[in-house]
Amino acid sequence: MNRLKLALSLGVAFLGVAAIGSASAAGPADRPATPSAYSAPALYDLGNFYARAGRPAMAVLNYERARVLAPTEPDVQKNLSHVRESLGLPAPHPGWLSQHDRLANPNTLYWIGILGLAITGVALLRRRVSSKQPALLAAGAVVGSLLMALGLCDAIATASTLHEYVVMAATAARTSPTSAVEPLFAVPLAEVVHVRDQHQGFALIRDSQGREGWVANADLAPVIPSIGNITGASTPPEAPR
Amino acid sequence: MNPFRTTTLAAMVVVATLMAGAVQVAEAAATQRIEPTQIGMGESARLTIAASGGDASAISPPMVAGLEFIAVAQSQRIESINGVSSASTSVTYQVIPQEAGVFTIPGSGSGSSPVVLTVSPSNGQGSAAASGGSVRLTAPSARQSALPAGSTRVTANGAAFVRLRLPKHELYVGETIPVDIQVGMRDGFVASLNGLPTLNGDAFTLEKLSSQPQRAEEIIDGRPYTVLTWHSALAAVKPGELALTVETPLTVRMRTAARPDAGFLGEAGLDDLFSDPMFQNFFGASTEKEITVASAPTAFSVFALPAHDRPADFSGAVGSFSISSDISDDKVAAGDPVTLRLRVSGTGNFDRVTTPMLHDVEHWKTYAPTAKFKAEDDIGHRGEKTFEQPVIATRPGTQSLPALTFSWFDPNSRRYVVARTSPLSVAITAGAPASQVVSTASLAAASSNNNGDSPAGYRDDHGLRPDHVVIGSATASLLPHYYQPAYMAVPSFLLAALSGAWFWIRRREQNASAEAARANEFPQTEALLASMEEARAAGDTTRFFHTARLALRGALASQWQVNPASITLADVETRLGASSVTARVFKLADEAAYAGTRLTPADFQWWRQLVLREISNEAMS
Repeated sequence: MNRLKLALSLGVAFLGVAAIGSASAAGPADRPATPSAYSAPALYDLGNFYARAGRPAMAVLNYERARVLAPTEPDVQKNLSHVRESLGLPAPHPGWLSQHDRLANPNTLYWIGILGLAITGVALLRRRVSSKQPALLAAGAVVGSLLMALGLCDAIATASTLHEYVVMAATAARTSPTSAVEPLFAVPLAEVVHVRDQHQGFALIRDSQGREGWVANADLAPVIPSIGNITGASTPPEAPR
Repeated sequence: MNPFRTTTLAAMVVVATLMAGAVQVAEAAATQRIEPTQIGMGESARLTIAASGGDASAISPPMVAGLEFIAVAQSQRIESINGVSSASTSVTYQVIPQEAGVFTIPGSGSGSSPVVLTVSPSNGQGSAAASGGSVRLTAPSARQSALPAGSTRVTANGAAFVRLRLPKHELYVGETIPVDIQVGMRDGFVASLNGLPTLNGDAFTLEKLSSQPQRAEEIIDGRPYTVLTWHSALAAVKPGELALTVETPLTVRMRTAARPDAGFLGEAGLDDLFSDPMFQNFFGASTEKEITVASAPTAFSVFALPAHDRPADFSGAVGSFSISSDISDDKVAAGDPVTLRLRVSGTGNFDRVTTPMLHDVEHWKTYAPTAKFKAEDDIGHRGEKTFEQPVIATRPGTQSLPALTFSWFDPNSRRYVVARTSPLSVAITAGAPASQVVSTASLAAASSNNNGDSPAGYRDDHGLRPDHVVIGSATASLLPHYYQPAYMAVPSFLLAALSGAWFWIRRREQNASAEAARANEFPQTEALLASMEEARAAGDTTRFFHTARLALRGALASQWQVNPASITLADVETRLGASSVTARVFKLADEAAYAGTRLTPADFQWWRQLVLREISNEAMS
């Protein structure tokens, strides 16, 4: 029994360390952002700046990035919608999961999912070794499972964002990854598209109307910059400092 | 000019001369024009002098101090109207200034008016033209060379040449200089140009060449060439005494048949006509061959940039620049962004013109700058680069933006230059801002009370919701934790720990179950002794010794740390001896079970005492 208590204590200590790690990663609320760091308000402000400067693609890019970090922030949504409407872009159609799951910052939901996993595991272990308070342990397992499912759903919903790109220059989608063929359809400025494939400086995109075509990588900028981005994509300065 | 047309034109001239006799030549009259009339140092203009009559030698290049004239094209035109023939000749010169100023080029014949060329020191925007001879403006501080004609090394058969035209032959590493690459192709001798000119060697870099070069005609040694000119910029990447050649692949027509005797028909001018591969090809006497034509080596002295006095923020810019700065608005509300601009203009390697602009300025929030370059020539050697940095004041009052600095190396003065702009002041108002400033916290509070709207649902002139002044928490990457390898390990580790605990608990439960099973299989000694008493009272010998053997097994199992069921008579005889009480009890238990041995009450009592003593001894040991 002593060993079991030790194991449970270690589990609780691990969660504590994880929570501290999360807090330190987020940083204190009033600390200025460091170079190459992303902050939702700073990205939002940058989006506003570009919107006022008449550069809607940069504005949409920064709003989209702000939306990744603050999906529930109403100002980001409203200004993004305003810029999109001013360009005549159709309203986006996010999936059901994306509409209902985006309750908080993905990183917060990640830690909530981890907490749910820990609660579920500890409740099941406790239930295994003791028959006391069975209702409480069952409730703990259910709550933990729900939190875990929340994190999992958010991970799935966020996965589509990894392939989202903003069109930085109005261009034309083509049937082949070359500029020598006839245009298929026009891709408007600041449109958010999904990249499905890439080939020699061109990306196969799907727009909001479900149309697919090839455009040059240089005309696209990733919403989430990462090592998995297409090569040669536009890399506008985005990091506030 | 089309090679076929040139050849045909020459043949027509000869035929017309032989068959028609003398051509009635109109009275000689000349005109001249120059384009453009305003240029900068390093540029050139084109002067065209046209004269009536078919004699090009009647046209001579003008002589103007400070200007160099290079004949680049010549054309002749013959017209026959109502039986009256007339001819006109024009020669085009490339005019290369050797210094800045306003130059008057005098007329070259009767009826020809002087023309004026204005040469500015750098950008072609000189002062108004003056008349009455050559008027020199204020001399520039450092004399800049134009692009002198490079040495022309024509191939052995005179079919083609490649040459470089450069303003100077001494430069610094990283410095870019304008360069003209010219490929001359003898009309009719060159079948095709098979690629763009390329540099030979790795000590220099060349800006990308256009696929549409300038085309001109040029007479060299009396032979017409079509000259293609690419304007580009050259830069050296390492110091030293270096030589540069440029080469280009061509397909030329080679003569395969014997040339007609020189002096055929007594006309030296016809020699080229019959040597022309066009004629040879017509009679099947020429073939095509791919060759590579290289320019004559051009020597350079390339110097390394001095390490002494190199500014800390030097980014590698080499050239002649000037800077200025301004802001988009000098009076804004707190939280409203203003754009800080830094303009760097001049000539040089603009690809190395970079600046971090402002960092960590008190009472200001700064963002990464963007840069735009506007070239003023074809090669990006001269122009203006503008850096724009959004900045937002976080406190009302008169806030100052510090001076911006930019440093470069000036190859003319051979030293580093550090230029500073003046600090800029911006009046930051606190009340009724253009875009109302609210904190994130207040917005969040308002959102919860007002269905997501900020107070009063404010929107600025652009229809945007206000800025958020508080930056808030920051994260190093926009990539969610789910997809970062370091964070992926956390749930895996937690899951492994929980699984380990689960298996540990399960194994522990299995051990407890086995122990309980063993306990059920071998009752406690007290129960066995009670059973022995019952068997003695009943006179049941078989049950008595069976129970006694179980009790002794239990006692031995505790001592030997083995399973009681595994203890056999052989084990007991080996470890305790065949005559021991325990061994005898094991034997009697078997005999009672199979032979039906019976004991008297006294024997029961005696064996009972022996068994109890053995159990006690085993327990004691």
